[in-house]
Amino acid sequence: MNFLVRQISRTSDGREIIRAYPHDVREIIVGREASCEIHLTDLAVEMRHARLTLQANGKLEIAALAGLGFEVDGRYTSQAIIDPAGGAEMRFGGHLLVISEEDSVVVITVERIEVLSDSTKERDEIGLFTLRGVLPSRRIMAWTLSVIVLLALLVLPIYTFYNYQNSEKRPAAFHADSLWSSGSLSSPHAGLGMNCQSCHTEAFVAVRDSSCVSCHDDAHEHADPKRLKLAKAPLDWDGKISRKIADSFNRPEGRCVECHNEHEGAGPMEDTKQQFCSSCHTDMNKRLTDTKIANAGDFGTAHPQFKPTVITANGSPPKRERISLDQKPVENSGLKFPHNLHLSQTNGVARMAGRLGKPFDFGEALECKDCHVKTPDGVGFKPIDMEQNCSQCHNLGLEKIGNTVRTLRHGDPKMVVADLRAFYRSGGPYSVRTQQSMEGRRRPGDYARSQPYYAYFGSVNYSRADSAIRAVFSKGGACYDCHTVIAPPAGSDNWQVQKVYQTSRYMTKGWFDHDAHDTETCSSCHAAKQSGSASELLLPGIKTCRTCHGGEASNADVPSSCAMCHSFHADEGAPWVPKYNMARKRDLSKTGVENGKAP
Amino acid sequence: MDRQAAQSGRVQSDGTHEGFLRHANFRWLKIATMISLLAIVSYLIIDVQPRHNGGSWYGYTLGSIGVLMILWLSLLGIRKRRMSRGHWSLKAWTSAHAYLGLSLIVIGTLHTGFQLGWNVHTLAYVLMMIVILSGIWGISVYATVPKIMSANRDQTTEAQMLASLRSIDRQLHDAAQPLDQNHAELVRGSLDQDPFGGGIIRRMTNRYPACQTIAAHEKIMLFTESAPRTRDDPLEKVASLLGRKRAILARTRKHLQLKAMLEIWLHFHVPLTFALIAALIAHIVSVFFYW
Repeated sequence: MNFLVRQISRTSDGREIIRAYPHDVREIIVGREASCEIHLTDLAVEMRHARLTLQANGKLEIAALAGLGFEVDGRYTSQAIIDPAGGAEMRFGGHLLVISEEDSVVVITVERIEVLSDSTKERDEIGLFTLRGVLPSRRIMAWTLSVIVLLALLVLPIYTFYNYQNSEKRPAAFHADSLWSSGSLSSPHAGLGMNCQSCHTEAFVAVRDSSCVSCHDDAHEHADPKRLKLAKAPLDWDGKISRKIADSFNRPEGRCVECHNEHEGAGPMEDTKQQFCSSCHTDMNKRLTDTKIANAGDFGTAHPQFKPTVITANGSPPKRERISLDQKPVENSGLKFPHNLHLSQTNGVARMAGRLGKPFDFGEALECKDCHVKTPDGVGFKPIDMEQNCSQCHNLGLEKIGNTVRTLRHGDPKMVVADLRAFYRSGGPYSVRTQQSMEGRRRPGDYARSQPYYAYFGSVNYSRADSAIRAVFSKGGACYDCHTVIAPPAGSDNWQVQKVYQTSRYMTKGWFDHDAHDTETCSSCHAAKQSGSASELLLPGIKTCRTCHGGEASNADVPSSCAMCHSFHADEGAPWVPKYNMARKRDLSKTGVENGKAP
Repeated sequence: MDRQAAQSGRVQSDGTHEGFLRHANFRWLKIATMISLLAIVSYLIIDVQPRHNGGSWYGYTLGSIGVLMILWLSLLGIRKRRMSRGHWSLKAWTSAHAYLGLSLIVIGTLHTGFQLGWNVHTLAYVLMMIVILSGIWGISVYATVPKIMSANRDQTTEAQMLASLRSIDRQLHDAAQPLDQNHAELVRGSLDQDPFGGGIIRRMTNRYPACQTIAAHEKIMLFTESAPRTRDDPLEKVASLLGRKRAILARTRKHLQLKAMLEIWLHFHVPLTFALIAALIAHIVSVFFYW
C-alpha cells in the first residue's frame, strides 16, 4: 500500500465522517471525474486535474494535467515535489488535501473547506430582506446628521460670536454666524457686512438703541418723551398681551428697530410704515388736547389741508404765518408781479421775448423757466434776482455813452436820486435822439407802443431833476410798476421802496422735491397763467396732490406713506429728509428698482 | 345568543377593517384641514407690519405651534413600540401623525412669511418639508406596494424563496460535475456569486447587470440550442436548472426591491427628523441669541 486517501465529510449536524481508501499504486489522479483515485466533486477542479507520483526516493511529485494549477502550502503552481514525511497542504479548488506519512504510507486527507455555493452559506436571512446590509442604520444616520447640523449651525456660530464679540471689524472671510442671518442688510448698512457684533452686542439681549446711536449720533427725539408717551394710543387687548410677552423676553418698548426693520433684504432701507405714525397721529388731539398738530392718519383720506408759511405783513423781518390753503392766504412779498401778463402767448411781453430771443434763451413767449431757475439739488428754485431775471426787459438804462449803457442802480433809491440829479446837472435833459439810440429796450404794455424804452417813462421831457425823480418813483415810473413805493414828505427826497421778501420754502413741516416731479409741467400744479397778482399764492392744495398720491395701502398711482414727505427725527429746519435720501430714491425709481412704483 | 353576537361582532370588525388613513371616518383629516384653513385665514386677515415674517408676534405663534407639532409627531417613533387599544390606539395615533404632519406644510410655510434664504432658518424649513414629503412617499408606497408584492410572492414565503435557491444550487452543483472545465466555470460563477449583492442602487432598481447566473444560462443555452437534443446530456440539465434559478432569482430580487421601497422612505424620514430637530434647536437658539 502506497497511498491512503481519507475523505472527510460532515453530516448536517456537523458530525465528521471519515472514509479511508487505500491505493496500492505508485501514482494516483486527482480530478472531478468519478474514476479518479481522489475524486473531488468540485467545479473548480478539472476532470483530471493532477497526477501524484511516488518517486523512488520516497518524494511525491505532483504535476498538473490540464490548464489549471493548484496550491502547495499557499503557493500556486503547476508542478511540485514534496516530501511526505515533512507533510504539506495542497489545495484544489474548494478542497484541502493534507499530505503526511504514516508507516511509510502516504496519507492524503481530503476535506471540502469551501461551501458548495453562496446560497448555502450561513446568512442573516431576516437581514437580507431589509436594507440593513446596504445602508447605514437609521440610528447612525440620525445621529450623524444631527451632530453635523448642531456643530455647523449652532456651535460654530456661537464660537464665532464670542471670538469677535469685542472687535470692531472682523477679517474678510466666511463667518459661521452669517448662517443665522434671516436676510440681507439694507444698503446703508451693507458696510457692516459680516460684523454681526456691531448691532448684536450681547448674547440673548435684543438689539439696543445704543448700537444704533454709536454711529447715528445725530438722531433726534421725535418730541418731548413725556408728550410722546401721552400721545400714544392706549394698547388694545392684543397689544397688551404682546407687550407683556415682549417684556418677559427682555424686549423694551420704543427701540429704533421697532420702526427701522433690518434683515429685510438688500436695497434701500424701507420707509417706515404708515402705521407707526398713524397709531398716534390719527386721533392725537384726543390725548394731547393742547396739540397744535392736526390729526393725520392717511394721506389719501385723513390728512389736513397744507398750511404754507406765508408773509402776512411786510416789515423787517416780515411777519410769517402758517395759514391753511383753504383760507386762501394772501402773501405780502412787497412785489407787484402779474404772472398772467408775463405768461401770455400773444401780448407785448410775448412779442418782446420773441424779439430778444436767442441771447436770453427765450422762445416765442416767456415760460416759467425763463425767470425761475432750479437750485443745483433740483429740490426748489433760486430766488428771483432783478439783474438776472428781470433786467433783460426791465432795463434801468439812463443814457448811452459810447457802447456802454449807464443804468440807475437797482435796490438803492438814494443812489437813484443822486444819479438823476447828477445827470441833469451835467447836461440833461434827455433827448429824443438819445432815447432812440437805446435800441431794443422797449417797455412792454399798451402805452409803450412805438415808444422807446428808457428809465423814466412818458412822453414829457423833464427839464428839472425833481420832476424826473418824482416820475421814476410814481405810477408809470420804472420803480413803481414792480415795487411798493413809500413817498417822502413834501419837500424831501427820501423816496423809499418796500423791501421784497421771497419765500424759499412754503412747506416747512413736510418735504416737497420739485425734481421728483419733473414728469409734470409747472402748470399742472401752479395756476400761474390765470394769476393777475403777486399776492396770490400759487401753491396747489392737497386735492391736486391726491390726483396721484394716496395713502400707503391705496390704489393711487403713487401709494405714499407718511415718511415720503415727513421725517420722524425732528431736525432743525428743512429739509426734513436728508437730500441724499431723495436723490437716491429718484435714481432708483428712474431705473425702476424701487418696487416698480411710479416715481 | 351572546356567543353568536360576540362572533358576529368579531366577524364584523374583521370585515370592516379600516386603514389608519380612514380612521374614525377621517377624523384627523378633518381636524388637520380645519387647522390649515384657520392658519391661512388668520394669515390673510392679520395685518403684520411691515410684512409677514417669522419674527412677528403672529410668526412666533405659528412657529411655536409648529415646533410643538414637530416634537409630538416625532414621538410616533416611541409610541409605535408600545401597543395599546382604544382612543389613542396606535392606529389613531398614526392617523393623527399623517394628517397633522400634512397640516404642518401650511403652518411651517406661513411661519416663514415666504422669506427664504441660505440660512439656518430656511434649512429647518427645507428639512421639515423633506421629512413631510418622505412621509407622503411612505404612505403612497404603503398604499400600492403590498398588492404588487403579494402578487409577486405568489404564496411563497421569504424562507421558501431562499430554500428553493439552496436546493437549485445543490442540484446545479451535482449536475455540473460531468461538465468540461469551461462550462463548469460558468456554473461555478453562478454558484459562488451573491445574487443579491451590489448595494442599494441594484436593490432599488432591480437591475443586476453582472449576474453570473444569467450570463451562465445564456452562454450554455448557446451550446444546447445548437446541439442535438439527447435525453441525458448533462449540459441540457444544467441549462434547465440555470433557467429555474433565473426565475427564482427574478422573483426574489423583485421581492427585495419591493421590500426596499417599503423601507427606504423611512431612511429619509427618520434620520432627517432628527436633523430637523437639531436644525430647530439651532434655529430657535439663534433667534434668541441674536435677538
